[in-house]
Amino acid sequence: MSSESDTGSLRTLLGLGDAGDSPVDRKLDDLRRRKLVRRLYAALGVVFTVVVLNASLVVVGFSLTELFTQIPHFLDALTDYFPPTTYFGVPFVDVMQYWEFIVEENLFAASQVTMAIAIAGTILGLPGALFFGVMASERVVPYPFNFVFRATMSLIRAIPALVWVLILIPLGGVTPFTATLAIIIDTTGYLGRLFTDELEEIADGPIEGIRSTGANKSQIVSFGMLSQVFRQFIAWIAFDLEHNVRVAIGLGLIGAGGLGLELDIQRKTFNYTEMMACILLILLLAGSVELLSQRVRSYLREDDVEQTGLLEAIVTAPKKILMSTVGRR
Amino acid sequence: MSTLTIENLTKEYGDVTALEDVSFEIEDEFAVLLGESGAGKSTMLRCINGLTEPTSGHISLDGEPITGSQPNVGMIFQQHNLVEGISAYMNALTGSLDRATTVESLLQRQNSETKRQALEALQTVGLLDEAHQRVSQMSGGQQQRVGISRALVQDPDLLLADEPVASLDPSSAETVMAYLKKAANVHEVTALVSLHQVNIAAHFGERFIGLRDGRLLFDVGPEELTPDLVDDLYGSVETVGLAAQKRDEPSSDVVERRVRP
Repeated sequence: MSSESDTGSLRTLLGLGDAGDSPVDRKLDDLRRRKLVRRLYAALGVVFTVVVLNASLVVVGFSLTELFTQIPHFLDALTDYFPPTTYFGVPFVDVMQYWEFIVEENLFAASQVTMAIAIAGTILGLPGALFFGVMASERVVPYPFNFVFRATMSLIRAIPALVWVLILIPLGGVTPFTATLAIIIDTTGYLGRLFTDELEEIADGPIEGIRSTGANKSQIVSFGMLSQVFRQFIAWIAFDLEHNVRVAIGLGLIGAGGLGLELDIQRKTFNYTEMMACILLILLLAGSVELLSQRVRSYLREDDVEQTGLLEAIVTAPKKILMSTVGRR
Repeated sequence: MSTLTIENLTKEYGDVTALEDVSFEIEDEFAVLLGESGAGKSTMLRCINGLTEPTSGHISLDGEPITGSQPNVGMIFQQHNLVEGISAYMNALTGSLDRATTVESLLQRQNSETKRQALEALQTVGLLDEAHQRVSQMSGGQQQRVGISRALVQDPDLLLADEPVASLDPSSAETVMAYLKKAANVHEVTALVSLHQVNIAAHFGERFIGLRDGRLLFDVGPEELTPDLVDDLYGSVETVGLAAQKRDEPSSDVVERRVRP
């Protein structure tokens, strides 16, 4: 029919040619125009991203040549990070060097300090988190007023724990004590928010059930609401402890004690082997707390599912991963 | 022994009238509230329990007006509304919350008499051996029986139940209703139960109150509950289903009576 529009000219392809006669031709043209507009926007987006990326690279002084010229130095450092030796003729990392440093500097004591900061901070932050978490729920405090508590928690979270320590320096200096104070504040904002979210999910039924018995307001909150989320709260506390261990390590880096502080000292003196010893210990500490918290949480969550012991879980893990991968196609 | 008096009860939700000028009185009876979905049964029970504020009218128990949720009115919900994460015993014990301060109840510092009462209530509904079990691990019928025991621990003068067996299978429904009736008899409590199943209602009820479109349609004793009355209540829709049922096999005498021309 419309032989002219089938010539394949650019105008036609872009939907700017003469519209055909039939409704189908007109729709086809319309669709082409829409595609053109979408492509223009996409091109604009790509150009914008490239410009922003370029500007960012200039600001940070990103340089590939620097990377290449520095690589030999980094490789040098690698042999410091992982000092080579041979065990029975087999080349391997000299683990004893790490161990000697760990024992000599008594890094286990430093790990204890880090753990102590995290544990004390989590437990002392708990009442605040519970109070703000419950009061921020719309179910407990009616709409406009619960935002007072929500906003307080947002404010706390807007300032990272690292900055809270800086703010609190006049109170206790750069010490584990100040780090604990910072984590208490951080926990109130962070864990409290998790509590609030959990409370928004609860069912109305039990609340009404408790209300119908003639219970008072605080009994309705504790029996009708908190009892529904008790186990989830325990799981979140375990998660928050795990989070706080990592925060405590970070706080150590700016001088507030524990493993982070040891790591910072070794970095400043360019003792790469000792630095790696600290990092390995951090890995061990954060890893085991995470493993523990994972176990606690899965125990609480999947109460009805069959229980597997830790050892059994490790042994059967590869099989389970394999099974789930096979099933997913 | 108690008397529930409803006088000119009206409840409006915006433009919708859920209850219109309903009055009746029940005394020491196991009364059943019948009616289609949306007829106002739940609204009625929620008003009596103080979970919903009536637009106008008076509700009184033994002459005392009911204004809010109060311990001497026990309520059993369709979805049982128990706290699922805790044991049956703890749930039964929540029936005594008004007798303890918040701290006392949180620490389970109720006196041993109350604790015995909770276990006795569980015994009444045949769940003494399961008292320690978490409610979430129980069957629907057992959960509803825990709901009954919670209401009993309140030491109620009036027991309300909002379609307590609607989400149960026929056999569990009968068991739960039997326990509910037993509980009301043993504790000598006036009961008002809303039901969908006419045969169950006819079997357990001592008094029948029919609601249609928010209005009182009938208020009769067991002898006066005729098939015509029930047909009035549900319209002709039910009869279609019953005719088909009759072809297969007539099950209960209630059904038979209803399809008689």
